[in-house]
Amino acid sequence: MSEHDRDLPDLIDRVARTLREPVATDGALDARIMARVLAAPAPAAGGAWWRWLRRPALSPLGAIGLAAILAGVLLAPRVRRTPAARPTLSEVQFVFVAPRASSVSVVGDFNDWNLAATPLARAGAAGVWSVSVPLEPGRYTYAFVVDGRRWAADPDAPRAAGDDFGTPNSVVLVRGAS
Amino acid sequence: MGASDGDLVRRVKAGDARAYADLVARYRPRLARYATRMLGNREDAEEALQDAFVRGYRSLARCDDPEGFGPWLFGILVNRCRTRGAQSARRERLLVHDDAALASVPSAEPPGDDEWHEAVGRALARLEPHYREAFVLKYVEDLSYEEMARLTGAGVSALKMRVKRACERLRGMLEEVQRV
Repeated sequence: MSEHDRDLPDLIDRVARTLREPVATDGALDARIMARVLAAPAPAAGGAWWRWLRRPALSPLGAIGLAAILAGVLLAPRVRRTPAARPTLSEVQFVFVAPRASSVSVVGDFNDWNLAATPLARAGAAGVWSVSVPLEPGRYTYAFVVDGRRWAADPDAPRAAGDDFGTPNSVVLVRGAS
Repeated sequence: MGASDGDLVRRVKAGDARAYADLVARYRPRLARYATRMLGNREDAEEALQDAFVRGYRSLARCDDPEGFGPWLFGILVNRCRTRGAQSARRERLLVHDDAALASVPSAEPPGDDEWHEAVGRALARLEPHYREAFVLKYVEDLSYEEMARLTGAGVSALKMRVKRACERLRGMLEEVQRV
């Protein structure tokens, strides 16, 4: 019995016990999952840029490039797409204004809603946070997380339809690089 | 005793994709239960489960704490269930429209196990998704409110309110079944 069960009314306790029972799954489910896993790209692929974002190590040339990106933040719309070096990826810049925040990150379909994966950096102007993320063409749902706790939709992007969970999400559509 | 999650994750990251099968076998029961409770049917639950495991594999480079693989993967599943649940809701709009019919669980006889399970499944399906999610995370997955907040992005006080409302609604739907 878990700790909170002691405080549960009988009916809710019975409901919880019922719902904790194991469920049946297709006997071949594990094999189907592994077939898809083995056909998928290896997990290390594509991880390098995430590691760079989390532990940036800038060369002088890189610092100049980053400065150029940050300067562009102040002139750019909230979410914009710029041509990327790789033909299948587009750089999507996420910008959020939160003057009192200690940290801001962006979570979404593209990083499996991982709070730690994509932190925004202060962009120079007071309260402006920014990060640029290379994304393949597609539709992505995302949100900003302020100070690791408060979720916020992008005020300049469409809201996600079917957002039934009380947490605000936005949508960005990334078209193929032309 | 089998290899730890951390050992298995490190083997997968080193290129031994088949080590992932042990992680699938280890976490499939719990994840299948959550997906089934959230989505209400086995087909959608198994699809969400497959999606979560495949996304987990492809994203494994971002799993910075290999020993924390389980909670990390569970977070992916919670969001897959949200996405799939929203898709299903748009597709079906809605499971059942007739509240009176839903409430008409026979009450002349004490409910057997099957009847009780069906009634609980129907009641859970009738909860709004955010109430259902909060209830399942709290009372089925046994998470703390702080863990729930990290997973869902909702505040602790909002989650407490959702759990309370979920309990009230479940009680309203199931008291008649329980009483007999």
